[in-house]
Amino acid sequence: MSVTYKVTHRTEYAYEDDVTLSYGQLHLLPRELGRQRCVSSEVRVDPKPEVLRERHDYFGNRVSYFEIHEPHRALTVTATSVVEVGERAAGISLLGNRRWEEVRDAVAGGGLPDHVDATDFVLRSPLIPIADRYRAYAEESFTTGRPLVDAIASLIARIHADFEYKPGSTSVSTPLADVFRKRTGVCQDFAHLGIACLRAIGLPARYVSGYLETVPAPGKPKLTGVDGSHAWLSVLIPEAGWLDVDPTNDQFAGDRYVVTAYGRDYADVPPLNGVIYTEGKTEKLKVAVDVVAVGP
Amino acid sequence: MTTSEPIESLAYRPLPGLYDEMVDASGQPRAHWSFLASAFADLGTRELHRRQAEAARLLDQDGVVYNVYGEGSAAARRRWRLDPVPTVMSSREWESIESGVIERAELLNLILDDIYGKRTLLERRLLPPEIVYAHAGFLRACDGIRLGGRGGGLQLFNYAADIARDGDGRCVVVADRTQAPSGSGYALENRTVIQRVLPSLYRDSQVHRLAPFFRTLRLALKEVAPPFAEDPRIVVLTPGPLNETAFEHAVLASSLGYPLVEGRDLTVRGGRVWMRSVGRLEPVDVILRRVDGIYCDPLELKRDSQLGVPGLVEAARGGAVSIVNTLGSSVLENPALMAFLPRLAEYLLGAPLRLENARTWWCGEDESRRYVLERLPELVIRPISRQAPGASILGSELSEDELESLRRRIESRPRDWVGSEALSLSGAPTLTADGLEPRRSVLRAFAVARSGSYVVMPGGLTRVSPQALAGRISSQVGAIAKDTWVLSSEPEPLTGFWLQPGPAVDAVNPMSSIPSRTAENLWWLGRYAERAEALTRLLRAVQDRRNEFENSASAPGVETLRALLETLTHITSTYPGFTDPALLADPGQELLALIVDGGRAGTLAQAIRALLACAYAVRDQLSGDTWLIVGPLERAISELDGDSIELHTRAQSALQEVMRSLLVLGGLGIESMVRDIGWRFMDAGRRIERGVQLLTLLGSTVTRVRGTATDSLMLESVLTAAESIITYRFRYRSRAQLETVLELLLLDAGNPRSLAYQLDRLTEDLEVFPTEGRLSEEQRLVLAAYTDLRLADPAALVAVDASGQRPELQRFLGGLLAQLTATGDAVDRAHFVHVTPTFSLVGAAGATSEIGRAA
Repeated sequence: MSVTYKVTHRTEYAYEDDVTLSYGQLHLLPRELGRQRCVSSEVRVDPKPEVLRERHDYFGNRVSYFEIHEPHRALTVTATSVVEVGERAAGISLLGNRRWEEVRDAVAGGGLPDHVDATDFVLRSPLIPIADRYRAYAEESFTTGRPLVDAIASLIARIHADFEYKPGSTSVSTPLADVFRKRTGVCQDFAHLGIACLRAIGLPARYVSGYLETVPAPGKPKLTGVDGSHAWLSVLIPEAGWLDVDPTNDQFAGDRYVVTAYGRDYADVPPLNGVIYTEGKTEKLKVAVDVVAVGP
Repeated sequence: MTTSEPIESLAYRPLPGLYDEMVDASGQPRAHWSFLASAFADLGTRELHRRQAEAARLLDQDGVVYNVYGEGSAAARRRWRLDPVPTVMSSREWESIESGVIERAELLNLILDDIYGKRTLLERRLLPPEIVYAHAGFLRACDGIRLGGRGGGLQLFNYAADIARDGDGRCVVVADRTQAPSGSGYALENRTVIQRVLPSLYRDSQVHRLAPFFRTLRLALKEVAPPFAEDPRIVVLTPGPLNETAFEHAVLASSLGYPLVEGRDLTVRGGRVWMRSVGRLEPVDVILRRVDGIYCDPLELKRDSQLGVPGLVEAARGGAVSIVNTLGSSVLENPALMAFLPRLAEYLLGAPLRLENARTWWCGEDESRRYVLERLPELVIRPISRQAPGASILGSELSEDELESLRRRIESRPRDWVGSEALSLSGAPTLTADGLEPRRSVLRAFAVARSGSYVVMPGGLTRVSPQALAGRISSQVGAIAKDTWVLSSEPEPLTGFWLQPGPAVDAVNPMSSIPSRTAENLWWLGRYAERAEALTRLLRAVQDRRNEFENSASAPGVETLRALLETLTHITSTYPGFTDPALLADPGQELLALIVDGGRAGTLAQAIRALLACAYAVRDQLSGDTWLIVGPLERAISELDGDSIELHTRAQSALQEVMRSLLVLGGLGIESMVRDIGWRFMDAGRRIERGVQLLTLLGSTVTRVRGTATDSLMLESVLTAAESIITYRFRYRSRAQLETVLELLLLDAGNPRSLAYQLDRLTEDLEVFPTEGRLSEEQRLVLAAYTDLRLADPAALVAVDASGQRPELQRFLGGLLAQLTATGDAVDRAHFVHVTPTFSLVGAAGATSEIGRAA
């Protein structure tokens, strides 16, 4: 059983003064995964870029590069894609019945078949430190001998319960320690926190960037443009693959989740980053995302 | 002659327990040292000290500096310290070092290739993935970027090894340098100086020359160019004049003959790299990088870097530019790698390394960690990423408490730490106040990839610790350099001639290939030099009047002095200054401040600092002799502190020194610089500034009538300050008249101090500047100013109104000043890079936070 979505992600910048040169890098298009197939996809940049290229990055994500040479005061980037998403792999919960310590020891011993990958996701990364406070927080869920998936479910449930989701309470530059202390944040903070906890106890976890189809309240029509890009995390289950979990919504990521990119943390896969040349001091940003189911 | 005699007369005593470079265990000079040892004994300590002073003087003249970080200001330039006694290597020992360095370079090249390629070594755990993934030098964005060209596919381009000796004298590598190894330029400079200080010893010792290595480097750079680049354009990328080894960047650029650029001089367009030259963009094919990899591209690497070029990684990825060393090469500087090199050598080369590194244990492995923790006091402990220079910890220097705290740090994050055996290092004879004494030494050897293998510089940079007991040697903490002599077994044939057979190569068009920023610095160099000179002349003229009239009964004398002091304030814009009656009454302190206060805008010290900053930024463009005056100039200004009575006298002699240096600088500009586009910018800067200074001087002195006696004294001072008094006296003889003064200072195109002369020269200079239309804006402005000047009638200009002012003259001078200022602005707008501020464009802050929870 699978669902097909049309995802439209439109970002508009308005600048105070002329931007004379603009360089950008985009992680906006869905990647191919076992449970996800990209039917069609396209990035449009306005004004028309001098160069617009696509390639795969270090983690295999699709990334676009653009250069704009003509002076402009507005920039619009629109990514449109049609993606078919299946249910997550069935075997995971079964294999996830292993005690979590077995996985930790297998990772530490380098004995996993995918140990090279596993190592990259168990170390600290630019935005996620390894620290005792996260280990202590994780250990309340990862008690001795507890099955891995069970412990993961407990961890994300606790993050969901202990932390308040508050748009605007953090920015991309807020350190994780602040999020942990103030107990508020947004989806990417919770994803980072979950990863920090898992890595602190020796489990490989990665950051996932993508979209989530939101469901309107009963009786209300679905509004366009209210969805956003979303972030969650993924844990390596040996021999089964990566298990996606969403601490923001306290659930395993199912067929309503569309993946664009994964990395060690947000810094590896920002949806849009760039360098602009301008005398202006401010910019206004407007983002609109629509995730619409177009068929089963 | 028995060999023991010279050593006795040198009273040289090797350090106990250390291998000594010069003498063997019995105190006899080693065979390859015997000639020099006896020669030094013959010279004697006093003569050696004389040679040392000579070396220091030559280094000073060449302006050889090493910038020290963390001392606050640009003033933290440290003179390069060079010992007159070289380190000597026998040809036999060098052969084994050379082949060992080549082998290490080959091994590291294979590892680098694998890390940014298939990562088989990680897959097979020959190299624990952690030590690559956790290292700050591993740049994931640069994965898969390969250095192409005709160079034989080597990925590691420049390599340097820091080599020390253990107690038995065996050579051991203590550090591999792969980011952007520094020191080869300093080694070349050391050689240049020592060759002049010990000419006959150098000649008679049959020492391998260093120059061929730099020719190899040049050929190697051409070889790595992208295949489409027939005659590749090569640049040297520097972080800027404040970088610790900025001197070397300039030396490399000028000795290789490539432009020295900063990140903002380059731009990526259409996936290619271009240099912002005066008037246009020029393609760049190869970048010799002296900026740390992570700083090279704010788009894909360090987001807040101001030293990089956005899009550079993408350009390299697309094969449009070759960057050496490759971005990410510093991953090999991880000291943890040394723990695995023996194993990797067996695996990749099929044999153990001939030149081993210090035995190293990575604490990420249980057994190694236990070993390190047990032997902490004997080992050198290093974090796997080099955060700061000198980040290595000597266990032997730590107290019990410190050892315990280090132990805890290692235990909490074992993977971040490495322990290595501490080498005793060798003692090398070094000149101290008491004669030759052994100092611990380390040699840096340099290699470059060429045609599929490596070429090693026959020599290197030896550094010794300044104190007998210090165990840490780094230029950041005051190490002393030594020239390194590799003796050749037979007279060396001259090879690698600069003069090459074959068809003539087109010159890189001298009119077009300097970065726009270089042009800007040359322009300001000209302006500040002229500003400093004009101010010095005026200060001297004021001083003369002070000596004559301060506290004098002569009313005109006192009035003249006061008017000149006020002029000083106007010209330097250092208000209130002498417009404040209190200061006017007692001008001493303020006058001193105008000379020495480097922190205040408008002062002489500030103009000279600005001038020096420009000179350092374009040192690859200037004649080497320029540094003859930079040292004295720096000292003249910087040494002016201390007690203030003495200071007044010293300030006067400083003015003389400043004037002398500025005149030399001007002379060098005329006699030693090619009239290329860069020179034109410098000259234009001078002309504009001289004009501005002259107009301001006249505008604030002779535009009102005082009394005949005062006016006469004033005219004399004005002519003195404008360096035209002798001409004037010779030409007009009689008492001074304003009309003829204006004739000489404004209209006489034959007087190199006149405004007409400045405009003539400026017109010539501007003709060479690139322009799109028939006449550029700055050309129009100069033409208009010149026309106004020619049409001027001095007799009418000097008319006086009822209030004793000369309104015509004021208007006229003011108009010309405005035109000159506008010309300067027009040049700036048209030719210099205006570094538009850059910002990171981030989309996700708003984007991700907008997400609602799933209902």
